[in-house]
Amino acid sequence: MFLRLVADSFTRRPRRKVLTAAALSLRMAVVTAALSVSLDVGDRLASEFRSLGANLLVTPEADSLPLDIGGVDYRPVNAGAYLPEADLPKIKTVFWHNNIIGFAPILGLSVRGVSHAGDDEKGLGEDRGSWPQVSLIGTWANHPVRLADQTTWNTGINQTNPWWHVVKGRWFSNAGWECVVGKNLARERGAFQNGRRVFSGIPIGDNFVIDRGPSAPPLFLKAVGILDSGGPEDDAVIVPIAIAQQFANRPGQYRQLYVSALSKPEDDFARRDPATMKPAELERWMCSPYISSIAASIKEVLPGTDVRVIRRVAEGEGTILRRVRALLWMVTFAALLAAALAVGASSAASVIERRTEIGLMKALGAGSGTVGFLLAAEQLLLAFVGGGIGYSLGIILARLVGQKIFGVAPAPSLLVLTAVLALAAGVTLVGSAIPLHRASRYEPAPILRGE
Amino acid sequence: MMSAAGSKNRQMFWRIVRRLLVANRGRLLVILLALGAGAAVTAALLNLQVDAKRRITTEFRTLGANVIVSPRGADAAAGRPTLDEAVLESIPKQWEGAPVRAVPFVYYVGHVRRMVREFTPPERVVLVGTRIDALHAVAPGWKLEPSTPLPLTLQVNRCIVGARVASKLQTALRDNLEVGILPSAVLPDGREKDYPGAFGRIAGVVTTGGSEDDQVFIELSALQKLAAEDFAFPLDRVNLIQVSVPGAPQAVERFISELSRTLPNVNVRGIRQMTEGEGKIYSRISGLLTATVLIVLLLTGLCVMAAMTNVAMERRNDVGLMKAIGGATRRVFRLFLAEAALLGLAGGLMGAAAGMVLSIWLGKQVFGVAAQPRPIVYPVAVALTVIVAILSAYPLRRLASVRPASVFRGEA
Repeated sequence: MFLRLVADSFTRRPRRKVLTAAALSLRMAVVTAALSVSLDVGDRLASEFRSLGANLLVTPEADSLPLDIGGVDYRPVNAGAYLPEADLPKIKTVFWHNNIIGFAPILGLSVRGVSHAGDDEKGLGEDRGSWPQVSLIGTWANHPVRLADQTTWNTGINQTNPWWHVVKGRWFSNAGWECVVGKNLARERGAFQNGRRVFSGIPIGDNFVIDRGPSAPPLFLKAVGILDSGGPEDDAVIVPIAIAQQFANRPGQYRQLYVSALSKPEDDFARRDPATMKPAELERWMCSPYISSIAASIKEVLPGTDVRVIRRVAEGEGTILRRVRALLWMVTFAALLAAALAVGASSAASVIERRTEIGLMKALGAGSGTVGFLLAAEQLLLAFVGGGIGYSLGIILARLVGQKIFGVAPAPSLLVLTAVLALAAGVTLVGSAIPLHRASRYEPAPILRGE
Repeated sequence: MMSAAGSKNRQMFWRIVRRLLVANRGRLLVILLALGAGAAVTAALLNLQVDAKRRITTEFRTLGANVIVSPRGADAAAGRPTLDEAVLESIPKQWEGAPVRAVPFVYYVGHVRRMVREFTPPERVVLVGTRIDALHAVAPGWKLEPSTPLPLTLQVNRCIVGARVASKLQTALRDNLEVGILPSAVLPDGREKDYPGAFGRIAGVVTTGGSEDDQVFIELSALQKLAAEDFAFPLDRVNLIQVSVPGAPQAVERFISELSRTLPNVNVRGIRQMTEGEGKIYSRISGLLTATVLIVLLLTGLCVMAAMTNVAMERRNDVGLMKAIGGATRRVFRLFLAEAALLGLAGGLMGAAAGMVLSIWLGKQVFGVAAQPRPIVYPVAVALTVIVAILSAYPLRRLASVRPASVFRGEA
């Protein structure tokens, strides 16, 4: 009898019920979209922040102080400590390896060089001695790294410093005798000193020739691309790290390593010194992708290094992420509240509308509990149908919004589905409970008389 | 006669509207609540959105300087080029209503040694001359200990040492250092010549995670004086000026082009790392904010629409009666539209006021600074609510099809 009554109420006025369910699902769709986007936004923004570049810097632990001005190290090549390049793939074995989205070793030095068309070595001797100092930056670009699971993964300076654009040509291949020339060097034609042309610019296709003194033949590097970085690198020559190593006579070694890692904004807990933590706290710290715990895990696999958090990037990122997240959660909460009000109001109205029916049922001897139960079952059924349809509509809406804003659609999550269904059920019940409570006090007779 | 009838009509019209409004207090409350809540959230978000975009761009400056003024690199081959310190005065102090901070920098490779009890051997470091008190303006992300450098005294120069320099020299706050550009050298006649450095007292230790950890910062004038003594280098020259320009990426672009126009002899460029990254993040965040305002407006509309549907259901009898005694459908409509507009106005006026207060509180919660109430937001929010209320009266359209006879017969 109970089920028949519920079924009857749905089949007798289908248009009315469809309308109510449609309104409910529209609201739930908006809520789903708001929730999915806000849940996703932290991750999305965190990866956007990686366009600010690396947030970790790895240097040798026992190093003399670098004399770094504008990206050029003024120490002689034989001063200071170096790190082995062969250890680098280990970075992708740390606990947070999925959060590490790129790294690039750097070996920079100052060389004397000249632009030179063709392979002709004649004429070099005349200019020797008057060539300017050019900084040579050895690094990786799209460098394949062999991972433990036998797959290869490409990384390099183009990932850690996404604002370095190769405006013409391409990045060097890591094995070749090739180089990428900073845009100022490529353009700088006809600088004269004592009436002689000392530097003529290195257009694509030219050779950049490094002078190695009287004892060794010069190195010929083919310029394959022009770099626009907007920084001091525009005056430098970028080469595969192997070439810089050969020139510095430091095979297989590097001086600095930039790591770009996705991290969770630091809170007060993250700022505590891990040495003072209790074991349970330490475990929680290690298992949260704070930038400091990622740094600690990298230090573990690269012995003899000093892994530092680049505060300028990490701090700014943390503050902005926290603010934006707080803002979005408040907005999402407001959206939930507005939706709850709407759903509650309409389910209250649908109960008020059926006062005569309630009166009749009571006149026939139904208790307030039975009537309430019947209406609640009806509302719940409506809530689940409306919530379910609303969820699927909302996922489509969230995809559109996500695609429009971030270019990536948020993945449908079970959490959102549960939250949406719970919200729909809870709000319809609360909304109908208030008029039901009032209805329970009605005397059937006046209602049936239409008063 | 005509006018008397017209005024009677109008009187009657408003009387009916009044009765419609107060007939069912509960329903009135629900609709007003829906409209008011919508208006409140809309007003709060609109106000916050205007404010949030500005605040977010201010937050970006936690990342530090985003514009660099440097000498034209023509004489790059002959040592590091310099520019006149007077350039600093030509940089505007304000840009589009927000303060611009500019700090000059001079770099030299020099040495420091600790002077506690005896001298330690000199350590080669990069010496940075700058304005120590202004450092925080272009580099808020740096960790300074103590957070404000110790104050200047007449006798000694103050310096801030990078964290790694401090640990290398094993120095602490308030220790005395000797800072010089050239270490002592052997003169041709065999005697050791001591190039006197300047005395400095450590006023702070800086941790940045970058190359600044390996540098020693001293007051600009002190380093310029040293350079002048050692190299006969002209005073009042700096290597570069770091500028922190708040504002949306477009505003920063405008600043750069304006400054390069007023200072044709120097090179003004954005730090690409910052400008490009910020541009991307800013467009995402402002997109998000716009999307959220749209979502809330949509929800408000749906909310009011639901309330109005109920009105339509409830009013079947009234409409039937009105039609039966000769009310034209159009007049009946006007009646309900007037009701909706009045409701929208009332809900909007109350809700938007609440929303403005809400946005001040929200701004405080999110950004730590109360959002500025913008007067323009209030009428906009009220107008939006009225429009939403009138649009939501769309379900009342169904009343046109009400047939008085069937209503009176009690047919559904």
